[in-house]
Amino acid sequence: MTGETKYEVFARRNEGDDTLHLGNVRAKSDRLAKMYAHNTYDEEDWDYLAVVRADDLLEVEPQAMRHGVSADE
Amino acid sequence: MSDWPDAAVDYVQAIADTKLVIGHRCAQWSLAGPSLEDDIGGSSAAQEEVGHVRQLFRKLEDQGRDGDWLRGAREPEEFNNASALDRIDGEWADFVATIAPADRAAWYLLDAIDSDGMDGMITKIGEDEYFHLEYHDARLETLAAEQPDELQATLEETIPAALAFIGPESYDDESDPLVESGFTSVSAADVRERFADHYRDLFADTDVSLSGVDWDAPDADEWDETRRRVGSGGVDEEDLVQIRGERNAMFAR
Repeated sequence: MTGETKYEVFARRNEGDDTLHLGNVRAKSDRLAKMYAHNTYDEEDWDYLAVVRADDLLEVEPQAMRHGVSADE
Repeated sequence: MSDWPDAAVDYVQAIADTKLVIGHRCAQWSLAGPSLEDDIGGSSAAQEEVGHVRQLFRKLEDQGRDGDWLRGAREPEEFNNASALDRIDGEWADFVATIAPADRAAWYLLDAIDSDGMDGMITKIGEDEYFHLEYHDARLETLAAEQPDELQATLEETIPAALAFIGPESYDDESDPLVESGFTSVSAADVRERFADHYRDLFADTDVSLSGVDWDAPDADEWDETRRRVGSGGVDEEDLVQIRGERNAMFAR
């Protein structure tokens, strides 16, 4: 709990809207990250606000996609 | 003029004054927290607390309290804030461990009010307070892991002060004058139990022990029911200069 983790912050204004990436916060716990996100991005009355640990984001590798799947894969 | 019992006017006055000083303390820390996010949280909380105070002062003016007096034209001993907020000595852990119990106690007292015309305001304040209290607890959890000794030492001072602010344990459903008058629906004894359970649960699996806290405070015979504390004292004159906005008024001339 003592180390800081980077969290990406996402939100949507209304139900059905696209979910937007707002920015990020650094926090020492998930609970604190949620409060930091709320305090930092509370100018809008969000329908939905979420944080995701940056370490948990799964990167889709565009180079691999462009090369396609070879016949022997 | 007042249609509340005198004790109810004092009760709301103490809640409003506690919020006024919490707002001031949050503003003082809003450029001195350990991270930018904590600074933003302090600024946000300070603004919201001042908003709550303005609404509560309006209710108190409806009950006959003078507006100028409410907004600061009074002596430190006439501010009925929770005593732990009079001054905060120390660093960040001390600040959080002082603000958090006072803020939670003030919210529980406000939430206990069952009076016509107060419901909408209390619901709105509760929406803000959810985030204030959740933030405090999240911060207390991290500090319990990092600085348990400092946190514990401060809580041993600030929790009894918050219990004094809530009221003596002898004020149960049969004897709490505000419950008897119908102004509140939850006795001080029940609020104390809810408050104590919360902090015992929060620190149960941490290195912070609350066994040294005086959970019986305050002594009912020594309790000042108007100021909701034991003993005298009050905020410093310099705090009052800032709360009254005296220097801002000089710039505005």
